[in-house]
Amino acid sequence: MSISTEAGAPAGKTWKSKEEFLGCVLLTDWILLVVLFAVVLGSFHIHYMLLAGDWDFWIDFKDRRMWPTVAPIVAMCFAAAVQSFLWQKFRLPIGATVACLALLVGEWINRYDNFWGWTFFPINLVFPSALIPMGFWLDVVLMMSGSWLVTALVGSMGWGLLFYPINWPVLAQYHQSAEIDGVLLTLADLIGFNYVRTGTPEYIRMVERGTLRTFGKDVVPVAAFFSAFISMLIYFLWWKIGTWFSNTKYIEAEDI
Amino acid sequence: MSLTTEKASGAVRAAESDTIVNYWPAYWTMICLAVFYIGIRIYEQYFGWKAGLDSFAPEFQTYWLNLMWTELPLEFIAFCGIGGYLWKTRDRNIDKVAPREEMRRLLALVGWLAIYAFTVYWGASYFTEQDGTWHQTVIRDTDFTPSHILEFYLSYPIYIIAGWGAFMYARTRIPQFAKKISLPFLLFFAGPFMIFPNIGLNEWGHTFWFMEELFTAPLHWGFVFFGWFALAVFGTACQVLDRVIELSKEYEADVLSL
Repeated sequence: MSISTEAGAPAGKTWKSKEEFLGCVLLTDWILLVVLFAVVLGSFHIHYMLLAGDWDFWIDFKDRRMWPTVAPIVAMCFAAAVQSFLWQKFRLPIGATVACLALLVGEWINRYDNFWGWTFFPINLVFPSALIPMGFWLDVVLMMSGSWLVTALVGSMGWGLLFYPINWPVLAQYHQSAEIDGVLLTLADLIGFNYVRTGTPEYIRMVERGTLRTFGKDVVPVAAFFSAFISMLIYFLWWKIGTWFSNTKYIEAEDI
Repeated sequence: MSLTTEKASGAVRAAESDTIVNYWPAYWTMICLAVFYIGIRIYEQYFGWKAGLDSFAPEFQTYWLNLMWTELPLEFIAFCGIGGYLWKTRDRNIDKVAPREEMRRLLALVGWLAIYAFTVYWGASYFTEQDGTWHQTVIRDTDFTPSHILEFYLSYPIYIIAGWGAFMYARTRIPQFAKKISLPFLLFFAGPFMIFPNIGLNEWGHTFWFMEELFTAPLHWGFVFFGWFALAVFGTACQVLDRVIELSKEYEADVLSL
């Protein structure tokens, strides 16, 4: 797209006319938004896949202890950083949702086109975790409170606690028990055993272990509260990291 | 697609026109890159299975290693060529840039940033997670797997070249970036660039230490650390927008009324 005028602007002036200015600025704003979205997508995706990816890739990794602990904590980093930038610079309370949306766009393209399209893993095995309701929650708390401190305490608590319930409607069916050759296992385990993954053999599958069965055998609340607690700390840290990456400092060439 | 305020056309009038922004070169670059990436994805679909399973097989040499030995020199030439061209044609009178010309260059930089962001998506998101699924399907016998040849040695160098072009364009043509070095822009380029040397750690670790491909293994965390620096796009965008605002003070009220 190009925006032209017949002759140059008057000497010393940037713009020929108000129309030229408005058309150009609106177009450029949209392009910059796409730039930000694409970069957050790429950066968040490589972060998430290499810190929580195994639990996000596979249905038989989506357990009741490690997955609801690790995934919200890791996802919180970019939600807080993007929220920090969009809130402090533009007063837009959409950062966490935008970050989650960007990540999920990248993940779904990959799971369909590559996990299923190239190496033929069924989507039932490889669908990504839901995150967007958690992003909504974090953004709503920031919008209503106008305070990153309140968002860190209240928003992050909800962020950690919401993760398992929002994924449960899809996950529940895979946690039904099955007895195969005398062994009790879940449907998710069964799918996993049938699709051997060469780089992640069974002996390094990190799923729930331990003996305490708080709240009447269920371990999820303990994992969720622990995840929420760490998410609070992560929020504080990554809000500041987002602020730091928003700096507009210049340095002298001789300094490097 | 073009937005113009001129009514006449023709070579003479076109030559006289004073285009403030033209994003078509950026659009065409991204279209060409998308077509290229879709093409190599189709190549990968076919020759990954047909010739990419055994690195000792002659067909692996033909279809995959030859691809790598072709792409790496071309990427090095492109990196040097773009940097060299932009440096050679730099504005040697950077203090005398007129406001309209500076705005034109700032908007051209936005086009460069769009290309960089587009290539970051393909490298950091598409091809990186794709590599995960290949690792879970095939037991590799080489560092140079089909997915690595396209991920590490094609999509990563391409985003490095795009980022280098954006950085050098700003350094050689836009006063605010030429007189001093923008810290966020430097991080925005240098952080993702460092992912490429980090491949050395990754392959060393997988060769001598940790054969499995647990994606969350600490061996992979170097990629994560350097990927964080892409968030410096925040500061870079702010620096561009700050200057656009400074150069457009006369229309500030019009923007606020939108």
